[in-house]
Amino acid sequence: MNRNYIILTLIMLILAIGTIFISQRQFTKQVPPEELLWDVLQPTRFVSTDLVAKRIIEKDPSQLLIDVRSASQFESFSLPGAINVPFDSLKTSAAMAYFGNPGTKVVLFSNDGILADEAWILLRRLAYKNNYVMKGGLNGWIQTIIRPLAPAETSSEKVIEQYNFRRAASMYFIGSKTDVNKSQKAKITFVKRKKSVVAAGGC
Amino acid sequence: MDTQKNNQIPHYINPYLGGVLLGMLLLLTIYITGRGLGASGAVKSTVATTAQIVTPQDAKDNAYIGRFITNDHSPMYTWLVFESIGIFLGGLLSGVIFRRVRKPRVEHSSKISANKRMIYATIGGILFGIGSQFGRGCTSGAALSGSGTFAVGGIIVMFAIFGTGYAIAWAFKKLWI
Amino acid sequence: MGPLIPNGIITGDWNFVIAILLGIAFGFILEASGFSSSRNIVGVFYGYNFVVLRVFFTALIVTMVGLLYFDYFGWLNMSQIFILPTFWQPMLVGGVIMGLGFIMGGFCPGTSFTAIAIGKIDGLLFTIGLYLGIGMFSLAFPLFGDFYNSGNLGNVTVSDITGISSSWLALTFTIVALAAFWVTMLIEKKVRKRITEYKF
Repeated sequence: MNRNYIILTLIMLILAIGTIFISQRQFTKQVPPEELLWDVLQPTRFVSTDLVAKRIIEKDPSQLLIDVRSASQFESFSLPGAINVPFDSLKTSAAMAYFGNPGTKVVLFSNDGILADEAWILLRRLAYKNNYVMKGGLNGWIQTIIRPLAPAETSSEKVIEQYNFRRAASMYFIGSKTDVNKSQKAKITFVKRKKSVVAAGGC
Repeated sequence: MDTQKNNQIPHYINPYLGGVLLGMLLLLTIYITGRGLGASGAVKSTVATTAQIVTPQDAKDNAYIGRFITNDHSPMYTWLVFESIGIFLGGLLSGVIFRRVRKPRVEHSSKISANKRMIYATIGGILFGIGSQFGRGCTSGAALSGSGTFAVGGIIVMFAIFGTGYAIAWAFKKLWI
Repeated sequence: MGPLIPNGIITGDWNFVIAILLGIAFGFILEASGFSSSRNIVGVFYGYNFVVLRVFFTALIVTMVGLLYFDYFGWLNMSQIFILPTFWQPMLVGGVIMGLGFIMGGFCPGTSFTAIAIGKIDGLLFTIGLYLGIGMFSLAFPLFGDFYNSGNLGNVTVSDITGISSSWLALTFTIVALAAFWVTMLIEKKVRKRITEYKF
């Protein structure tokens, strides 16, 4: 009888110790190089500034904007509702809670889009999905949304329509800037991963 | 001879087997429903139902019970009520299989009377009822399912229950041994 | 892929059928382990019967370790399972009150249902007491409503608050539980010799 208990004790101990290794392995879960290379070559990770602007205006709750620039740059100017996760603190557990949540599309951006792209590759390598990069970064944002260039009159209808949208968006973002800044601070608290989605109800 | 022995020493399964089965059941429950097991919630629903039948308006106005009363369906129509009916049936099934179902009786230490045991059981039930509401669950809902999912609250409740139990056990020694 | 019901793999219609089936299994395990007897349960506090400690902590460590493996194999989405909210002050007080009730009544809610099933009147009275207790709580709720909602930390796990990873917590519990199993096995052998009146 005692021998059986010793065996069972050892099995339970080994299983429990095993959890430490599996959770560590999981933390450094990586995507194989071939897969990563393939994903990097795809243009599907880019979203246009128009789409981002449209989603901000529509207050799409599935979009989470992440500014990967430094905190000082973030404070001087950023997109409304964006959260600042500086590139060098990307791998902290507090920052990681923003990524890989089902139903959330994370849009990364920086000044020119290169830093954001690097952050995207890092996250992809850590096997996080549903991350995107805003094409052109904030520079592109200024050029296309804030100060859109009027297209030639001979342009196609689609281009003119896009220009009209951009002008309207520009009004939205410049006109309501102070308002947006306020809501941006309030929003930060509840974007993090929600633990419980199942109904509560006591024992 | 054999039947007499059966009456004196009830045949229980090995506690570690019981524990592993219970752990697996809890895992299965979480896997299927996303939440653990429970028991006191069913009594809470019964209280809410009674309140709704006896004094419908007061029940709705009650700051606590009112939360469990909706217009769509009776408060009895909840997961935990069905699960608790299952607990009763499962207990009956095991009792029949291991031949422990017998005529109604009170189990008590030889040092106290059956009446005293009944009074203490009721008081214990009342205290457990009150405590389970503060604790957001009882031993199965908060202490076991809560701690099993690494919830801080579950671990607090677990240590509070067992800690208090050990701290005051000597005072109630006469009730049991 | 799991949990199945919240992810819509099993539809809500089956919810109550599953509830009864899981309940039956739960009740069966409780009764078969001897939890339908209050003297069995309370024995853990006096050192003559450690069935509660054994069943409870074996179940706890199996669940903790099992959940981590379920998560690892991708069977269960840990962010979708229900984490009990923590209201630390009322929960501590509630736990103390439940501890008192445990020693006096000798049951906890789930076990009292199985006790009724095999014909224990004390189990029935305990359940009636539960009913009265919850009723009293509801009536007196306005008196301590603020306290009831105090100390709210949200649906937090230990690793959320302390930063200790769940695996280390599971390992700690496992080691402590296994050590307790071996120690109690020795205690039980000694105490059982002293107590001769232990019968049902």
